[in-house]
Amino acid sequence: MNTVTRKLIAKELYVNRLFIVCASIAGIVSVLLCTTSKVGFNVGALIWISTIVAVGVMLALYGIMNERKENSLLFVMSLPLSIPDYVRAKQLGLAACFAVPWLISSAAALIFVLAHPGAPDGLLPYLVLLCVFLFSNYSLVLCGALHARSEAVTSAVVIVTNMAVTLFMFLLGGLDEINKYMWGPTPVWNHTFWAVLAAELATLALAFALPWFFAARRRDFI
Amino acid sequence: MYSGIHISQTDERPMYLQILEQIRQRIAAGDWPAGKELPSIRALAAGLAVSVITVKRAYLDLESEGVIVTRHGKGSFVADVNGLAGELQEERLTEHLTAAAQLARGLGLTDDDLAARLRRAKRDLEKK
Amino acid sequence: MSDKHISMQSVRKTYRFFTLDDLTLELEPGQIIGFVGPNGAGKSTTIRLALGLIAPDAGEIRVLGHEIPRDQALAKREIGFVSDTMRLLPQATLGWHMKFVASIYPGWDDAYAASLVKCFNLRTEQNVRSLSSGEHVKATLLLALARRPKLLILDEPTSGLDPVARHEIISEFMDVLRDDSRSILFSSHNTVDVERISDRITFIDRGRLVESDDKERFLDRWRRIRLQLPPGTDEPRLPHVVGRSVDGQFVTLTIDGYSDELLAPFGAHVREVQRMNLEEIFVATVMHHREVRGQ
Repeated sequence: MNTVTRKLIAKELYVNRLFIVCASIAGIVSVLLCTTSKVGFNVGALIWISTIVAVGVMLALYGIMNERKENSLLFVMSLPLSIPDYVRAKQLGLAACFAVPWLISSAAALIFVLAHPGAPDGLLPYLVLLCVFLFSNYSLVLCGALHARSEAVTSAVVIVTNMAVTLFMFLLGGLDEINKYMWGPTPVWNHTFWAVLAAELATLALAFALPWFFAARRRDFI
Repeated sequence: MYSGIHISQTDERPMYLQILEQIRQRIAAGDWPAGKELPSIRALAAGLAVSVITVKRAYLDLESEGVIVTRHGKGSFVADVNGLAGELQEERLTEHLTAAAQLARGLGLTDDDLAARLRRAKRDLEKK
Repeated sequence: MSDKHISMQSVRKTYRFFTLDDLTLELEPGQIIGFVGPNGAGKSTTIRLALGLIAPDAGEIRVLGHEIPRDQALAKREIGFVSDTMRLLPQATLGWHMKFVASIYPGWDDAYAASLVKCFNLRTEQNVRSLSSGEHVKATLLLALARRPKLLILDEPTSGLDPVARHEIISEFMDVLRDDSRSILFSSHNTVDVERISDRITFIDRGRLVESDDKERFLDRWRRIRLQLPPGTDEPRLPHVVGRSVDGQFVTLTIDGYSDELLAPFGAHVREVQRMNLEEIFVATVMHHREVRGQ
């Protein structure tokens, strides 16, 4: 990875620093909220999910679309880099921007389940699958935004993936093999868990690989 | 900005001519004495914010008039009319006259014909 | 061939409603080319092709010896690009941009950058979002100049600038020419500036190269001649006449390819011989070419 790509990744983190910090704080606060009461748990959980999803949306929209709109794309492309370099830098940069609040929020949630007596450890597999899902969901949004040539398409991708979150949670909770052990005292890592995890990781890998084949091959960039 | 020399784009005269005349005036007035080194073409161009090709044209014309002398690789200098530039011009004149004589012979002109052509050329030049 | 800073040979780029065709453009080191054309003529397309941001459908492009668009990353190491539509990153300050660019280009000159900040009356702590469009262009030019690029590509760098700012900017980038190994491609509507600083001028209209020549030759070639022809006099047959207008006895001819000998036989009828400025030459050239191509 050359200097310019590295610098652009660092620039992505710098430029989105407000999102990252606020989302990380919100993630921690929402988990703390969960420790207070039953109501607190519901509210906290909602905020936790919304924050992670929201930061993903913001990053995709502002990170990619705005750069095109505000003509700073021309400035970036005047730097000594090729089109594939740019796509890579964007992808890794925005992934890093998401990864920070995501890691912090996921860690906070996992610690909560493990440490808090009120939260059964049986929730762990579900939580792990949810966290990984949120990341692979974001990588799909990112993939879409990198390929989309219009704001309309990007917005469509964002909306669809948004709906997917609630759908996922519902479906996952409905799976018998997950459902049965969710409220138990010990985490159960069964076949279903590994199958779902594998599917999520495969999606993630695909979402990261696709831009390297399509967006990076684009010959008309502006 | 290069102090002193000014180019006006609203002036009727082309830019290279303005540069040429202003330099000639300074030399004639003695402000730029014989032997003084002229700014390099690029330096003057950058200083006046004018294209290199324009300054080059002015310098070339000044040189063909014998007002300045360019030494390859060393720069341009105000001609020393009593010395070097005069000599160079004398050399050039001899070259041109020799060439004219050869052409005249080729065309079958007599000495008088050649002299008449030379006189007419001088007259035309004065008319401009 | 490998010496040239820009070499575009028979380049073609087709869009749905516009085609740039058979474009040949060459820029030598130490030279400034003025690139002039009406809106929509293809100037920005040509520049984007030179930078590798779009790929040609036909033809060859080499910039600073590198094949474009394949090796654009290498070429752009030594290219400074300023465009009036370019914007810096809105979430950062000018100072951040300076550090950012300095970390990418080894040729960055801190002292020169600092002097440009002063000269352009900018502030490093100022957020880019709050810059006026004129200040934005100055900032972008600063970032381009301070790393002393071999090739400067300027796309309307003076549009929207007040006369003082224009003067400052032009002085700064003319300084680049003190070094005969550096060159500039200057695309602008401002024909007064183009006329003054260009060594070579290229006209483009509706996707085609219309004319390309040395600036001084252009200015020498074109004249507007006013003749007075008393009734009964035939109008002289003059070559290279590109435009003609008649008002009673007075005929005005626009000529491309003027020389003093041309008028010698008609001395008595000539009332005035006028030089034309670049804007007039440009308009006459484009009009003539559109006529010739049946548009």
